[in-house]
Amino acid sequence: MNQTSATARPASIEFGPTVYHVSRGSHGEAVEISDFDLWYGAKQALFSISMGVEAGLVTALIGPSGCGKSTLLRCLNRMNDLIDGLRIRGRISVAGQDLYAPAADVIAIRKQMGMVFQKPNPFPMTIFENVAYPLRVDGIRHRAMIAETVERSLRGAALWDEVKDRLHESALGLSGGQQQRLCIARAIAGTPEVLLMDEPCSALDPIATAKIEELIDELRGQFTIVIVTHNMQQAARVSDNVAFMYLGRLIEYGDTDTVFTAPKNERTQDYVTGRFG
Amino acid sequence: MDAADAPRTARPSGITRRVRETRRSVLIADRVADWTIRIGGIFVIIAVATILVFLTQVVVPLFTGARVVGQHAFAVAGMERGPLSAVIDEDRTIGAVLLRDGSVSAFHLQTGTPLAAEPLALNGAVVTAFGSSLNREQILLGFADGTIRLGTMRFTAEVITPDRLPPDLRRLNERDRTDGRSVYSRIPGNQYRKVDVVVRADAPQKISESAIRLADYRVAGTVERPTRSFATVDAARTIRLSRAESRVNMLTRQVRTAVATTTLPPVPPGVEISAVLLTEQADSVLAGTAEGRVFRYDTRSFTAPRLAEEARLLEAGERLSALSYLIGEQSVVAMGSRGTTDVFFLLERPGSDSADGKRLVRAHIMDRHADGVGAISISQRGKVFATADARGNVWLRHSTSNRTLLALEKGGEAETYAALALAPRNDAIVAIAGNGRASAWNLSVPHPETTLGTIFGRVWYEGYQEPGFTWQSSAATDSFEPKLSLVPLIFGTLKATFYALLFAVPVALLAAIFTSEFVHPRVRAVVKPAMEMMASLPSVVLGFVAALILAPIVEDWIAAVLMVFLAVPLSLLAAAYAWMYLPRSLSLRYGGLPKFALMFVALGLGFLACVALGGALERIVFAGDIRSWLDGQIGSGFGFTTLLCLPITTLAAALVGNRLMVPLDEALGPRSHGVVATVTLLRWLVILVAGLVGALGLSALLMGLGYDPRGGMVGTYVQRNTLVVGFAMGFAVIPIIYTIAEDALSAVPEHLRAASLGCGATNWQTAMRVILPTAMSGVFAAVMVGMGRAVGETMIVVMAAGNTPILDWNVFNGLRALSANIAVELPEAVRDGTLYRMLFLSALTLFAITFVINTVAELIRLRFRKRAASL
Repeated sequence: MNQTSATARPASIEFGPTVYHVSRGSHGEAVEISDFDLWYGAKQALFSISMGVEAGLVTALIGPSGCGKSTLLRCLNRMNDLIDGLRIRGRISVAGQDLYAPAADVIAIRKQMGMVFQKPNPFPMTIFENVAYPLRVDGIRHRAMIAETVERSLRGAALWDEVKDRLHESALGLSGGQQQRLCIARAIAGTPEVLLMDEPCSALDPIATAKIEELIDELRGQFTIVIVTHNMQQAARVSDNVAFMYLGRLIEYGDTDTVFTAPKNERTQDYVTGRFG
Repeated sequence: MDAADAPRTARPSGITRRVRETRRSVLIADRVADWTIRIGGIFVIIAVATILVFLTQVVVPLFTGARVVGQHAFAVAGMERGPLSAVIDEDRTIGAVLLRDGSVSAFHLQTGTPLAAEPLALNGAVVTAFGSSLNREQILLGFADGTIRLGTMRFTAEVITPDRLPPDLRRLNERDRTDGRSVYSRIPGNQYRKVDVVVRADAPQKISESAIRLADYRVAGTVERPTRSFATVDAARTIRLSRAESRVNMLTRQVRTAVATTTLPPVPPGVEISAVLLTEQADSVLAGTAEGRVFRYDTRSFTAPRLAEEARLLEAGERLSALSYLIGEQSVVAMGSRGTTDVFFLLERPGSDSADGKRLVRAHIMDRHADGVGAISISQRGKVFATADARGNVWLRHSTSNRTLLALEKGGEAETYAALALAPRNDAIVAIAGNGRASAWNLSVPHPETTLGTIFGRVWYEGYQEPGFTWQSSAATDSFEPKLSLVPLIFGTLKATFYALLFAVPVALLAAIFTSEFVHPRVRAVVKPAMEMMASLPSVVLGFVAALILAPIVEDWIAAVLMVFLAVPLSLLAAAYAWMYLPRSLSLRYGGLPKFALMFVALGLGFLACVALGGALERIVFAGDIRSWLDGQIGSGFGFTTLLCLPITTLAAALVGNRLMVPLDEALGPRSHGVVATVTLLRWLVILVAGLVGALGLSALLMGLGYDPRGGMVGTYVQRNTLVVGFAMGFAVIPIIYTIAEDALSAVPEHLRAASLGCGATNWQTAMRVILPTAMSGVFAAVMVGMGRAVGETMIVVMAAGNTPILDWNVFNGLRALSANIAVELPEAVRDGTLYRMLFLSALTLFAITFVINTVAELIRLRFRKRAASL
């Protein structure tokens, strides 16, 4: 399904249609979400979300707490699967493959969609083993290849210089910001197509946050990044496109500058100017 | 919305002013709770410490050996006439010395006061040879005219009431009074015990033409119809064995004694016989020579005695100064002129040059006296004996524990003791010198047989071929020596624990991983309490189910039961493999309950296969009859060794094979589901075949090296065996390990699970690579706690283990655990007796083992907590 920036689609009756004015990357869409509904038991958490994530760009999901942005992110690699009473309707496809098709291979999907969590969650292993983990679970035993991947990933996550002398020490000895970059290194070691970041800086201090943001900027182009954030300045700084969600609906999805400077929806306007949220 | 909440919680000041003081009642409650908890905690510590102190205090006397509780010196009259034998009565009241002219010199032991005693009427004859039974009551007197007289020298004890007490008694001490002949001892219950010494001898019997020089005497049979045997050596060095049989004429009460005598093969000329010993059954005679050799005669055939063995007991040059049996006649003590005191056992030694295949074997080399040993007196209870050397040193020894219990100090200057008597209860020794000077010691020797060495080390017991670890606390005969090694019991405990854990740990851990990582929380909410319910099954119930139901079933179906270990995992693997073949759409749709049901179907099929294939296994591997095979009667160990090698070689083949097949995998590239399944099957078939070939080869190699699995982990089948205990105890331990391990696994933070799954790991990879290593300490602690439970478990082992205290890893044999031993033997233990204290020592040992296990578990748990806190 092709979405064009000017096409308006009905999101719900009360909230009006989603406003689209997405800035396009050069590689087309990496992820395509169409008419996606989600329920936790009887409670509907996502209402008819339709959006395309531009490949190679950084897409930020913003919105007040409980608006469904993390839920949506977690649908992208089916981390929601274990939740009881979860029901979905609609389609999410990555490279033309439906994630929720009955025959979909969840493990393969997760390998395509690297994930970085809100709280740094390195494994209680060495730094090296943390980064090598995605390769190990793939059954790769080639030592030189693993070492090479670990170095490349750590360099990619701007952590190599800080940890190259203590690769075989516990990852738990790193600072919070380093741990989070290690988690990013781990996520990119598996060479995913999409990097999902769920509020990656919310547990970090401003300096560590700045480093992560720098890193996201560097990763732009190599990976398609979807980032959930509470911090609107952050969204403005790192993202190309911003999707504003409110009460499970996608209100406005478009070019970052436009969303922050001249939002087309009144609620977006209220939110980005700090009138609520 | 957090921000929206904030203003509502902040109250404007001044509207309701909260009191900022804590109320008194809260403070008091806090103080009371604080003290209650503190006192409670201290009481718990005190209670545990008190139990330990109590156990230790009961156990300590085992190791205190012997001590002197009183010592005095006095004079004994008539010693210049030559003492034959000195005796003390059971209650340490009277000591008496039989002299060569037939007179008896009696004295009150505790004061040395002389007492009158009726002498033997020997009509002026002087005794030239003296022999007595081991308890010194039955005596034999030999004379210069070649006659002997049999008799007794014993104490009579009679309890009388105070009104029958004769008047004008002389006070001897607190307890005793005398009329100059008998001693009246005050005993509890306001009664008196009258003790006398009585010596009596039968009419002379002519045995030899020359003077009797040496003699030994035994009485066997019943009191009504005793068989009296004696061995004599006369001046012509003729050794004779005689039997005297007395018949009482029922009408006249006349006693007629008939003596039958046989002459033993002569000793070589020039050999001087200095000691002769006879056994109670008169089936063996030992003639010791002055230069330290012994001639052992086999006299089982009274009419045709033969020389069985000639052995050297002492080093060349040392003269034999005394030869004696210890009680039970299994140990021969040989003492020499240089102080040597060695204990010999008569043991079967195949290939020895003796006529009956037995040999005297030096079993215990005791401490040497500084000078020649002059006198010996053996105990009537156990292997204690006293020896005195020429310088007047008196030592109390114990042969089995190989130690000198006491070196008694002399009352006066050095002198050679002519007579030595150890009281029947090992509680007094009197040593009398030739000049009549006597020293008496009151002793306390409660547990002479126990040392750390005898309890935990190898001990050479009488009748055993070599030193070993033995537990055998009681038997039917008086001369039996309790064998109190804790090693077989500790071994039994560890063996039961080992086999129980071998069964329980994999089951419990896999179950814990399964419920914590693989099933829906709702299933877990049902399974976990159910498993915990299992823990509340009384172990006595498990025990008798194991003993009365499981044991006979296992006995009937051994081969099938052995098959289970092979068939159940294989059937599950096969089911998992079949599952892989299912189309993805089906396998996803039926991933829940149907898959669960399939597991049970696979299990059921596995069991059916066991029943069906048990017979075949028995035919192929166990030569058609597993029990005869286990006994080692039929078949070879080849098949079974192959089975044992199979897992190892298959594993090796899998490691090698998987590495070799990596290029193959890559060459095939991306494949469909079915192709993957087929390739995997083929790969595993190749690996299995390689493993089988490897196992056959390895087994053949081991056979070539002479290895036979029988006698090690497998061997003779007993119905109550360790396999059954392993099952039953495993059943008791599984819930404990499961619960704690499951908690540890579930306690692994959810974010780690998410991180791993987010990396594209499967549930199994997540469990194995992240969850289990992170929870490892907790899982290890679970195993240790389960181990602690298995070590202390009592009822299951009592009922299902057969209680045989043996050192044998054989899974088909029984065992006796420390805890079971306490339960089984406590009813037999006399308060404050050796067995009683030994059982307390077992309890202490058990306590120590569980303490160590629990401490290790706790330390690991603490480490785990520290590690978990940093996550």
